[in-house]
Amino acid sequence: MGLIQWATSPWGREVPIHIAFGLVWVAIVCGALFLIAHAIYVAYWAKSPEAASGATVGASRQLVAGIPERVPRHSFGARLFHGVMALAMLALLFTAFLPKMGVRFAWVTWHWIAGIVLTVSVIYHLFHATFWLDFWSIWPDREDMEDASRRVRRALGMAAPAPRKFAKYPLENKLYHLAILCAGLAVIGTGLLMMNRVQTPFFTRNPYIFGFSDMTWGWTYVLHGFAGVVLVALIIAHIYFAVRPEKLFITHSMIYGWMDREKYLEHYDPHRWRVGEAASESGSPGGSKSRVPV
Amino acid sequence: MAVIHDVMPAFELFQPPTIDDALRLLGQYRADAWAMAGGLDTFDWLKDRIKRPKVVVDLSQINELRGIREQNGGVEIGATTTLTEVVRHPLIREKFSILSTGAEAAASPQIRNQGTIGGNVSQDTRCWYYRAGWPCYRAGGNTCFADTPTAINREHAILGADRCVAVNPSDSAPCLIALDAKFVIRTPKGERVVNAEDYFIGPGIDITRMNILQPGDLLTAIRIPADWAGAQFYFEKVRDRNVWDFPLMNVASAMFVTSGKIDRIRIAVNAAAAHPLRLAAVEDAVRGKEPNAATGEMAGKLAIQGARPLRFNAYKIPLMRNLVKRAIGGVEKPAWA
Amino acid sequence: MSDAKNATKNGPATKYKLIGKNYVTPDLYAKVTGRSKYAEDYRADGMLFCKLLLSPMPHARVRKIDASAALAMPGVKGILTADELPPPADSINDNGTVILANKRGDRGLTMEPLYQGDPILAVAAVDEVTAADAIEKIKLDLEPLPFVVDPLVSLRPNGPNARLDGNVWVRGQQPPPQPGRPPAVVPPEVTTLKWTDADFAEYNEGKLPMGKATDEWTVGDLDAGFKNAALVLDETFVTPNSSHQTLETRTAMAYWQNGKVFVHTGTQSTSQTVPAIARWLGISPDDVVFISEYTGGGFGSKITGAITLIIPALLAKKCNAPVMMRISREEENFIGRGRPSLHGRMKVGFSKEGRITALDMFVVCDNGPYDQVGDAASCGRIVSLLYQPEAMRFRYTTVLTNTPPRSPQSSPGGMQGIALMEPVIAKAARKLGVDQVTIRHLNAPEGKAKFGPLINGKQQYVTSAFIKEALERGSEMFKWDERKNQPKRSGTTARGVGVSSSCYVGGSIGFDALCIIKPDGKLYIQSGIGNLGTESLIDVHRVAAEFIGVPWEKCEITWGSSAKNLPWACPSGGSQTTHAMTRAAHAVAMDAIKKLQMIAAHDLGGKPDDYEVANERVFRKGGGAGMSLAQAAKRAIQLGGIYDGHELPKDINKFTAASATALAGQGLLAVAKDTYPRDGVTHSYVATFAEVEVDLETGQYKITDFLAYADVGTVIHPRALGGQILGRSTLGIGHAIGQKWVYDQHYGLPVAKRFHHTKPPTILDIPQKMDWAAVGIPDPETPIGARGIGEPPVGGGCAAILNALSDALGDEIFRRAPVTADVILASLEAGRPMQEPLTAHI
Repeated sequence: MGLIQWATSPWGREVPIHIAFGLVWVAIVCGALFLIAHAIYVAYWAKSPEAASGATVGASRQLVAGIPERVPRHSFGARLFHGVMALAMLALLFTAFLPKMGVRFAWVTWHWIAGIVLTVSVIYHLFHATFWLDFWSIWPDREDMEDASRRVRRALGMAAPAPRKFAKYPLENKLYHLAILCAGLAVIGTGLLMMNRVQTPFFTRNPYIFGFSDMTWGWTYVLHGFAGVVLVALIIAHIYFAVRPEKLFITHSMIYGWMDREKYLEHYDPHRWRVGEAASESGSPGGSKSRVPV
Repeated sequence: MAVIHDVMPAFELFQPPTIDDALRLLGQYRADAWAMAGGLDTFDWLKDRIKRPKVVVDLSQINELRGIREQNGGVEIGATTTLTEVVRHPLIREKFSILSTGAEAAASPQIRNQGTIGGNVSQDTRCWYYRAGWPCYRAGGNTCFADTPTAINREHAILGADRCVAVNPSDSAPCLIALDAKFVIRTPKGERVVNAEDYFIGPGIDITRMNILQPGDLLTAIRIPADWAGAQFYFEKVRDRNVWDFPLMNVASAMFVTSGKIDRIRIAVNAAAAHPLRLAAVEDAVRGKEPNAATGEMAGKLAIQGARPLRFNAYKIPLMRNLVKRAIGGVEKPAWA
Repeated sequence: MSDAKNATKNGPATKYKLIGKNYVTPDLYAKVTGRSKYAEDYRADGMLFCKLLLSPMPHARVRKIDASAALAMPGVKGILTADELPPPADSINDNGTVILANKRGDRGLTMEPLYQGDPILAVAAVDEVTAADAIEKIKLDLEPLPFVVDPLVSLRPNGPNARLDGNVWVRGQQPPPQPGRPPAVVPPEVTTLKWTDADFAEYNEGKLPMGKATDEWTVGDLDAGFKNAALVLDETFVTPNSSHQTLETRTAMAYWQNGKVFVHTGTQSTSQTVPAIARWLGISPDDVVFISEYTGGGFGSKITGAITLIIPALLAKKCNAPVMMRISREEENFIGRGRPSLHGRMKVGFSKEGRITALDMFVVCDNGPYDQVGDAASCGRIVSLLYQPEAMRFRYTTVLTNTPPRSPQSSPGGMQGIALMEPVIAKAARKLGVDQVTIRHLNAPEGKAKFGPLINGKQQYVTSAFIKEALERGSEMFKWDERKNQPKRSGTTARGVGVSSSCYVGGSIGFDALCIIKPDGKLYIQSGIGNLGTESLIDVHRVAAEFIGVPWEKCEITWGSSAKNLPWACPSGGSQTTHAMTRAAHAVAMDAIKKLQMIAAHDLGGKPDDYEVANERVFRKGGGAGMSLAQAAKRAIQLGGIYDGHELPKDINKFTAASATALAGQGLLAVAKDTYPRDGVTHSYVATFAEVEVDLETGQYKITDFLAYADVGTVIHPRALGGQILGRSTLGIGHAIGQKWVYDQHYGLPVAKRFHHTKPPTILDIPQKMDWAAVGIPDPETPIGARGIGEPPVGGGCAAILNALSDALGDEIFRRAPVTADVILASLEAGRPMQEPLTAHI
């Protein structure tokens, strides 16, 4: 099976039209294999998390004392976005791939409506995260890289300092966000272009808009498809982590907006993820603050 | 690969003698197999080298697929019965004359001699972009070439479009819906009987197929129940040429009138959408009313609700309105006729 | 039924025994029983089949052809590309004038395809399936080039050009004259013409933009004409492109033997196709053997066969085996030629009685990418003749488009001109309150009517015109006066009647005829005419039999192969044959009679003039000595010289001379060129009447009655004439009711490619009642008085339907042809014309 479906254009040229839709099964299998492998790894081989690292030890008592019982983590706006985005994403993936798997229904209208919802929610998120949230908290920083290097070296039995506790988001979380961001922007960008090719109330249908050639359109569809199947795998992984017992407190925080002080102190570095009054004392290097309106 | 049309490539030909043999072959070769009845639709595709089955299963030798039988006051028509046989059969002429009329409106005498009733209802759309081999949605691609700023879409859909704007071209299909016919399908899992209107599907459900047949399935017979025998029928086909042409639109209705009021009615229109449309809302609206011009006007207006014209097919909206009106209220003949 | 009609249909009560009488042509039984052999029916030992690779793009440059995989396939024998074609060659016409080759003409194959379907290469293989499989294995590297399928789009300020060197045809530069030789005919040139945005200001209102025209002529005082007009109309109308759709595609088979090429294909002229093949292949006409016994229709698209016949010929040479090229219907739709659409704008001034005081006509012709078609020029001449405007300006531009090549199609330009003008005349009559027949009668030509542009300060004129008689008798037969007042509306049905005038060129002069009276007493007639179905192939020779006095049963006609020693005949295009070849037949009969008289005088004494020829004998006038034709034939052989063809007249064509030489010594050989004088240009005329009934709720209509009343001079063969009048009327009706091309302008590709997509009328679309008749007044400028009829009914067939429709529906329904149900219904619904007025190919 090739990765791409090709067709003959009206001018007799070979042009891509879609990904090979069998790839969705590949994505599902990859997602499933990952979660099985990860579950086995965690159950049998993973070492228990290191109790503490130097950074936490050095945290001032004042800082720790300022941390409330319920540590605010996700604002209502952020949670709302996540929920809406998740629903839209699931709707998109189901409407996209169920018909390919043989479940027949009129999916296109639902698909583009979900796509619009996703697009609006992502635009909201971009503004919200940029101007109201700690914008830089989701991007991998130098300390993440150093800690990642330490972990790898220690896992390989090499000498390395103990990694620090996490900032607001662990590196894996940040990398996942990055992957979702890339795949999501790819589906949104291509999807908005593709909306010109179906009947919607927003555009006069024009498959020839922007003067794209059959080849350009073909690659647009292929990119949309690839991003879509990548999202399938990513979302399988995401849901898996959301329901893992040791991660449930994070899932809880995405629903209720806060996490227990203990969990906070156990997993996070108050210097790197400043909360409560402490947050207002010193700005982060990026100039934004955790001004979390709860 | 350069493109060439109009030369049929080589394929393996099977001529099974029974339905079971045919199903076995279709099951064995699945997507590589092509079930062929009269060949009118098939040979277009094969000659143009657009559909390239490795195996053609010719159904013409299966006797159990042919013939018209009386059944519980109705009739059962084998799927490979020719249109000419359907047109001429006395029982159909007597009780279900709308089917004779509709089938006779299809194509030309030569084509009706060869074309089958099963093929006529199951035929693929005639959208000229799709039939030319352009990689449209229906061909598995990502474009509807018939709904673009430059598209020529006089013959395309005003209703039920979903990306694809092709229409179903069958003349017999709306008649069978009006007669509440049942389609008998043999699948690898056994026999299945569906209502005529449920046999057809639109592009929203499956953009690459016109009906519910899956690879390996076979339409074996069409059963017309006794319910609509002798009803007041109306069929009209509007087309560019009086023979050898697909419909711009057609309408078929069966109606029982009691004490001057419409008692029971079924009405269907084809070539307005990708599948023949049974106009249930119209049926509901006219039941209990007199079958006159006023009721027809009202029905016509109701029928076209939601219609969306393309660049060249806005005429289909008044056409559908008028055809539905006539199906219910009749046609006024000129005084000089 | 009038007497005139009876007379023409059953044969006039004339002095003639054969002329004007019905009979069965000798080729008919084979045709109706399937025994007739068309090009595709021939087989030769070791014959290969070839298939074409057609351009998928509307305009492209072939950068590379990789045929290695195709040629490696078992059974594949060879490939032919454009690089292997002979260069375009000049030709010389019968007058000795050199016609310089058009380097931009269609050559059969090309490395710069100019329309989708333009053949790029051909592959020969042991069978067609292998050849097609091989074509699919060829890798083409095509560079897309700018393209345009709509002539008005090309004329826009930044519109694309169909060819790299321009978008319109203009007159070529005449080279300096060579002393002692007639000036050469130069091919037209291509240049770039763009109009301004201001020119397109009224485009959206449906008015044809009128920018700079490439050609124009004026006759009379236009301004005065408009000033004197009681009514001035300014109308735009568009006619459709339409494929010739011959039932026999241009299939060709060829092989080589002893240095000669043998070619089988359909043609409109057996004799004239020989030099065409020679010119295309770059060989001597002596090395061409051309076989064409039956042709399944031409309509102008096969006047000398088709240039694509060189493909099997060259492949046969390359592969050293006979090659058959069967042309499929889809290929025929691409390479089979078509009639060009004309966009026309007519500003017409009428007096209050309806006389045209001034006509200012502007025409844009959609030429396709290759050789210039003359439709626009011919449109102007025909309109000028048919309506005799007191003053006329005619401007035109022939625009190149990336659509299939056009060629003449029955009444080229005339049909379009009539379809453009007739709706205007009909509208004017309604506005002026003048009867439709009367207004046409008022403007109709008569006698030596003048027409066209001034040539050396003078207009040309016709040999004769009796269209006024056709209008008078036709309206009587159709009961026009009664019908025009009949109720027009009832319930949801509208009814209308229409009349149209029509005319076209009806004959040429100067061709040869050849026959032999053999010692068996039979008359053996050689026919160089193509057998394309009109029966003129045979009909014209009845004239020779009539005058020589041989019963038809004793006449043998030979046709269909240049190896059979045929004379030089006119091509059966432009309705020439009946006129041209009855003249030649008359000339050859006179030659035979003269020779018979001379033999009789030689043997029996006296002067040749003392003898007459009749009843298969030559005998002394008033009775007495004589001899049978059989005896005379024997004597001719004995006498030799001029009598049996050993000595030939100097003025006959060399093609005829070669044939006569080969036949010499078999009997009394008569051979002659038509040198009869003719004052004027021969045209034929038709008055056409139609009635339609329109369903106002569906837009569908039916033609309930139809009559074509023709002025074709003397009727030669009534049944064939009727077939031609009604058949060609049907061709015209097709243009009114549905035939057209359809293109998607984004890709520049046709979407109506199938036979049924282009909607030629079917037998159930022709009028429910359909009749014909002929005026029967002989043309004074030709010995028999007969003119041709192929072309004139076409324009009338189209326009009578259009006029009947506007009578039923009014002037605000359609602005172009064809008029289909959707156009009628949409316009009725909106109360104004709803079809896009100027977009090409919709």
